Amino acid sequence: MITLFGYRISWAQLAQLGHRASGLGVLLYLFMHIVETSTVLFGPDVYNAAVGIFKNLPARLGEVVLMAALVYHALNGLRVIAMDFWPSLTVYYRPMTYGVVSATIVSMIPLSIIMLRPFMPWGA
Amino acid sequence: MTTTVRPARTIYTNPSRAARPRPEASGSDRFWWYFMRLSGLALVILALGHMFIMHVLVELTGGEIDFAFVQSRWGSPFWRIYDLLLLLLAFIHGARGAKIVITDYVTNRTGRSLLIGILLVLSVVWLVLGMGVIAFFNPDTAPPTGPFS
Repeated sequence: MITLFGYRISWAQLAQLGHRASGLGVLLYLFMHIVETSTVLFGPDVYNAAVGIFKNLPARLGEVVLMAALVYHALNGLRVIAMDFWPSLTVYYRPMTYGVVSATIVSMIPLSIIMLRPFMPWGA
Repeated sequence: MTTTVRPARTIYTNPSRAARPRPEASGSDRFWWYFMRLSGLALVILALGHMFIMHVLVELTGGEIDFAFVQSRWGSPFWRIYDLLLLLLAFIHGARGAKIVITDYVTNRTGRSLLIGILLVLSVVWLVLGMGVIAFFNPDTAPPTGPFS
């Protein structure tokens, strides 16, 4: 149990909130991504200009957040699926939630290094 | 003094813990229950695979995502089918998820119907646009220069 905005919230509720927030975020990105990719029909100049908008540090940081949201949503989704199909696993919801959060953080370390490397002073 | 008797807290009825039990009756609710979980399993491979290719492999091999990249990628039927499957499953999974969020938090009947209606219209338009791009992109007859060149 943790206290957030004056409410006592369990880790399971926070995990569900995170699942919804990350899911809605990825859906919003998907709307934008389809528009961006549709410019490919107008030829190389338009498409290269469209993807060029995302080749800078702020956009790359956004892509790191997108990656984290997707990794978390995938891992937490697997936890939800496991508990839905085998309800007896529900008693382990807390260690499984900790596992999901730790696995997301651990996997984001190499992923963010790879994704941000071109923008590092020593990188490129 | 009145005492309120609280029902025993069973872990199975807390939706945040055992997400949602499978609907007993067959019907659209049960279909969507299965759809969200099975498409979710497929998307773990499809969506994370897509992200891994675009943001890890391309980065590690020093490649760049540009028009030529799309041309060679969508020259292969495998990647076109992969992307079409990813688009369909991700979009329907996402739109259904957003619909569930709306029904959970918006209690006003008019507001709820309005939001779900808007979501449905936007989803259909964007899905048709996305499928059209994958279907109609022709690497051979792509215009050499765009209208804004």
